[in-house]
Amino acid sequence: MAGIKVKAKLKSGVVKVKAMAKHNMTTYNQAEKKTGNKDDANFITHISATCNGENVFDMSTSQFLSKNPIVKFKFKGDFKKGDKVLMSFEDRKGKTGKGKGKIK
Amino acid sequence: MQRRQFLSLTLGALALSVVPASVRAEDFRKSKPTVWSAHKMDDAIQAMFGTTTTIEKGVKLKAANVSFDSATVATAANGGAIPLEFSTKIDAKTIAVFQDANPEAAVCAYSVTKYSVNEYSIKIKMGNPGTVKVIVEGTDGKLYSATQKLNVAKGGCEG
Repeated sequence: MAGIKVKAKLKSGVVKVKAMAKHNMTTYNQAEKKTGNKDDANFITHISATCNGENVFDMSTSQFLSKNPIVKFKFKGDFKKGDKVLMSFEDRKGKTGKGKGKIK
Repeated sequence: MQRRQFLSLTLGALALSVVPASVRAEDFRKSKPTVWSAHKMDDAIQAMFGTTTTIEKGVKLKAANVSFDSATVATAANGGAIPLEFSTKIDAKTIAVFQDANPEAAVCAYSVTKYSVNEYSIKIKMGNPGTVKVIVEGTDGKLYSATQKLNVAKGGCEG
């Protein structure tokens, strides 16, 4: 199951998020080595996060993030403990993964 | 009839949830496809921002958990997952990360939201020793950057 683990913590007004997406992140070179076809490469191309319906994080990525990439980011605003941070990613083949975490 | 309406509503909601970001923020994969296929760092930066002139200040970049051979060159033990931390206090619009060790140059690009605190951490792969460059596009339209030279003990792209 493709998914994304989200941990969020509120500290002095700033929400700190640590997220891990489960994904192989195959580069073109790795794909060519394994299957002989560069087009088999598959990696996350876009990660985003929302909290209370507001877009708080947005990232376009390439194949050079590590396998099962961990991203950390921070955001602030009118958010409180217990609010949910929803995250999702999309990969090169169009598959999506989702996850959520409560702000602690 | 009601059931049909319900179905189409759920389908619509599903379709929306599948493309969550592209409707709200800029997806640089779609808006700037040439960035991701550029092989040279300068070409990628040019494709991304339209210029390669940057000001070397205001951006902090650190490769964590690596030993420093000298003040400027850091060595990462595992090229498969090099932790990078970067932050800026500049009022930023876009932040992008590039390196010159892999076949293509672009690593990632953030579109900064109004809630963002610009401190990020990611892990990247590098096949060879090279240079990592973080570029921050300020709301003033200027580009600010920071670079870090990196050695890798083990290449990360062969996995």
